[in-house]
Amino acid sequence: MSHGALTEPVWDTVKRDLSRIVSNLKLVVFPNPYREDPGKALRDWDLWGPFFFIVFLGLTLSWSASVKKSEVFAVAFALLAAGAVILTLNVLLLGGHIIFFQSLSLLGYCLFPLDVGAFICMLKDNVILKVVVVCVALAWSSWAAYPFMSTAVSPRRKALALYPVVLMYVTVGFLIIAID
Amino acid sequence: MMSSNYTAIDNENVSGSVPAVADPPGQVAVKFTESNLQTFPPSSSQGKISGASGPPRDADDTFSKPVSGSDEPQQSGWFRSFTIAAYQPYFDVDTSDVLERIKDSLFPFAGSFSEKTASNPDLYGPFWICSTLVFVAASIGTFFTYITHKLQNKEWNYDINFVTWSAGLFYGYSTIVPLCLFLVLKYFSAPSGLVQLLCLYGYSLFVFIPALCLSLVPWEIVRWVVAGVAGFMSATFVALNLKHHLSSAGERWFFIVAAIFLLQLALALVLRVYLFNLTV
Repeated sequence: MSHGALTEPVWDTVKRDLSRIVSNLKLVVFPNPYREDPGKALRDWDLWGPFFFIVFLGLTLSWSASVKKSEVFAVAFALLAAGAVILTLNVLLLGGHIIFFQSLSLLGYCLFPLDVGAFICMLKDNVILKVVVVCVALAWSSWAAYPFMSTAVSPRRKALALYPVVLMYVTVGFLIIAID
Repeated sequence: MMSSNYTAIDNENVSGSVPAVADPPGQVAVKFTESNLQTFPPSSSQGKISGASGPPRDADDTFSKPVSGSDEPQQSGWFRSFTIAAYQPYFDVDTSDVLERIKDSLFPFAGSFSEKTASNPDLYGPFWICSTLVFVAASIGTFFTYITHKLQNKEWNYDINFVTWSAGLFYGYSTIVPLCLFLVLKYFSAPSGLVQLLCLYGYSLFVFIPALCLSLVPWEIVRWVVAGVAGFMSATFVALNLKHHLSSAGERWFFIVAAIFLLQLALALVLRVYLFNLTV
């Protein structure tokens, strides 16, 4: 790059951030050869992607709620943001080897399938379709988070690190189904 | 095997405090971490939560310190309670340990739970058992009302306050009661560790998870029986475990144990009235 970020046009900065979000998303959520070691793959982590995904999920939930929209957004946002921090702390406390913000970033990217699921559920109000979509999104999210969480701790504690992640995603899935 | 994948982080550890151990630095670091944590279990009963009476800070401890990331290896005293390493001893459990403790909590008459966990109480179980309870309560409330409303073709709105309300109840009960008990026991000069009490109370709530699931059965009598049995099991579990500890402390132990027993039964009653009572 010929000039620094200070003098470049704003659009270039935004474009660079967006392309970074897209490339990180591909690394975390879609099949790729680096999945065995996502800690290495996600060296260039950012918090913009997780922020957008959390806010988007909160907004989707509050749009689909018919009453108390702001409360729904508040609870969803608090659950997702605090949940990511607590899950990361959980792994650190279990003696895992992860970088705090990298883990936050990764957990945020893993919300992408649930975002998609919530969006579909908002458009179509059909109970069976909702359950199917949420189940697929849950499986996808857990699949995305699995390699990172399981390699971070010792094999004897794998289940202790994974259970809270699954619990949080199932909670979000229930919220998506429940709120309409 | 597990941590050799994390080359980026391990390299940081090595450059931080270890003078260039040769080839597999990650595995060495992990071994030291665990042996360190098992060598110094939190056994003293005073000042648990502040972490001020943590393991002695020797060479091994500084070696394992970079696990917690950014904090300084030379921190000491009061500021240590803000580091992750100060709380790691309370999360030093494996999957098999947690499963065994949960199993113990389902057999209340053994009364050996507090002895078994005296040297290595964990906060992992209590925290995630409470979280699971909040989740189960919220989701059962959701689904029960959802299905009944859909069956009757009624307009249905999810009350999101149900989540916050049940979170307050479970987290509040499992922290405030042990805290009060800790102070009471201190007053009666039969001190018990705060973390041990938190651990005991957290695991005692586990039996309510299957109980809440069983409360989906739509018959009143079944719900009462389920709530009663769960409350009795939980109360017996706590009371018997504390009785072992208290009976050496004089003749007043009976009142304390009875109060603990009744308080736990009261929790079951509250759950029965508010959570198990999801009628249309």
